[in-house]
This record gives sequence, C-alpha cells and structure tokens, in this order.
Amino acid sequence: MAEISKEKMEQIAQMWNARGKGLITHMALEIEEVSSDGVRVRMPFNPDFCVDTDQTLLHGGILTALLDSVFGLANFVAIEGVSTMATLDLRVDYLRAARSRADVIVNAHCFRQTRHIAFNAGSIWFDGHEDAEIARGTASFALTRGDVSLFEAMTKGKAS
Amino acid sequence: MIDLETVNANASRVPFFRFLNFEVQSLDSLHAEAEMTFEERHIGNPVMDHYHGGIIASFMEATAAIAVHPDFSEAPAKPINLTVDYLRPGVKGPLFARANVTRKGKRIASVSVITWQTDRDKPVAEGLYHFLLV
Repeated sequence: MAEISKEKMEQIAQMWNARGKGLITHMALEIEEVSSDGVRVRMPFNPDFCVDTDQTLLHGGILTALLDSVFGLANFVAIEGVSTMATLDLRVDYLRAARSRADVIVNAHCFRQTRHIAFNAGSIWFDGHEDAEIARGTASFALTRGDVSLFEAMTKGKAS
Repeated sequence: MIDLETVNANASRVPFFRFLNFEVQSLDSLHAEAEMTFEERHIGNPVMDHYHGGIIASFMEATAAIAVHPDFSEAPAKPINLTVDYLRPGVKGPLFARANVTRKGKRIASVSVITWQTDRDKPVAEGLYHFLLV
C-alpha cells in the first residue's frame, strides 16, 4: 500500500473522532489500515444491527451503510482538494447470510477518480473469515472541488 | 391480508427496525408505505444534520421486505442485492418510503422503492431490491 503522510493520517483520525454524533459513532468504527490504495475498517458486533430476536443475524442495511461510510473515507484519503462528497449511487450484493457475532471487517478503495466523480468498490467479511465474503458493493460519488477541505468543514463546522 | 397493527408489532421485535424507528402506514398485497422518524443516530453528515445514505437504503430495504413478506415470523425477507440512486439530501425530519412489488415469483421478488420528505414528486432516493423467497 502507498505511504500516506503522518499529517494526513492524524487529520483522518481527528475527522473520524470529531464527528461525535450520528451513525458512524453508533457503528463504533475503528480504522485498521489507511493508504491511498485503500482502507480497512473494523465494526464491532452490535446487537442493535440484527434482524432476529437471538441477535446473531445482521441486517443487510447496516452492511450497506458500512460500505457507504468507508467509501467516503477511502475517497477522503485518495483524493486531494475535495470540499464536498455525495453518494450518487450504490449497489450491494449480499453474498451469504451475515450470521455471526464476530466483528465485521470492511475493505474499500477508490478505483478511479475524475474531477467530478469517484468510483469505489469494497468487500465485507467477519473477522477471521476473509475467504467467506458476506457482502460486496460498488458506488459512485459526486465530488465538489474547492478551497474548504472536507476535513475543515467537518472539524470547524463550515457548511459543506 | 395481515392488519397494520400486527405488522408493526412484528417489526418492533426486529432490533434493527427499532434502530431505524419507522411505522408501516399502509399495506396491500403489492405495496407498503412507511414513515421513519429522524433520530440523531441516523445522521451521516454531522455538519448539515443530513440522513446517512446507508440509513436511507436500510429504511428502503426494510419497507421493501415488509411489502414482500409482511407476516414474517423469524426474520424479514432475505435480501439478495440492491441498487440505490441518491437524488437529494435527506434533511432533518420524517422520511417516507413506498415499496412496490414489481414481480413476485416462486423464488425471487423484485421491489422498487421510492423515498421522499415533504413532496412525493421530489424523491430523496429510489431503489431496486431483490429478495429470495425460499
């Protein structure tokens, strides 16, 4: 994986933590690896995200939400000078039933960026079962280039 | 046809449906409509307080699953895949979804879903969902 600057890594960690509210906070995401080639994030098991009363089967929607979030992070890392980012479309295949109480691992990367659009792909599996993918997704994002970086907007509360 | 009260009672037993916090408002053999209440935990953009795209897709998936199989016992209908087009930001406030079962075969169902806030003609997102019925 390509090196990224220590400064940017610190920015990313700050941005993630500075949110302080919303879904990402509830997902309790932990960044495991970050580079301009891709990111790997861990989501701890959360019974609130299950569909069954036994609470062992994750709802597909939370996997979709996880992909959408981590695509955003991958774009932030890979693309310089982005002021806003909006998901244009998203496709997710649920490859097998997500039945486990293990942590969820997601790998995502931006495989093409243009001035206006970023294209992403990612995979999800349960920790320790990389050979048994539970979901795979692709998405495109509309980018706005500008002086105010996404990071500044997130941390200083400027409108994005 | 199952009544709304039973559907909402079933839905309230699903932990993730409680996380989404929505209520089914109408139902027939091919459609379901629901309303989701805005919650702090639904936020994706903390600067603007917009809904997270994943929460919008989850709400659409939940409404679609109920349209396909409203009287589920163990878990909602099994999703195969989805595609979502995000058309407008979902702002603070209630979000509505209407799921329309376009085809229900023996094994597979296709469902189209639309979401909006104040005006049905200004959708927030549109999606296509497939479910496995066996």
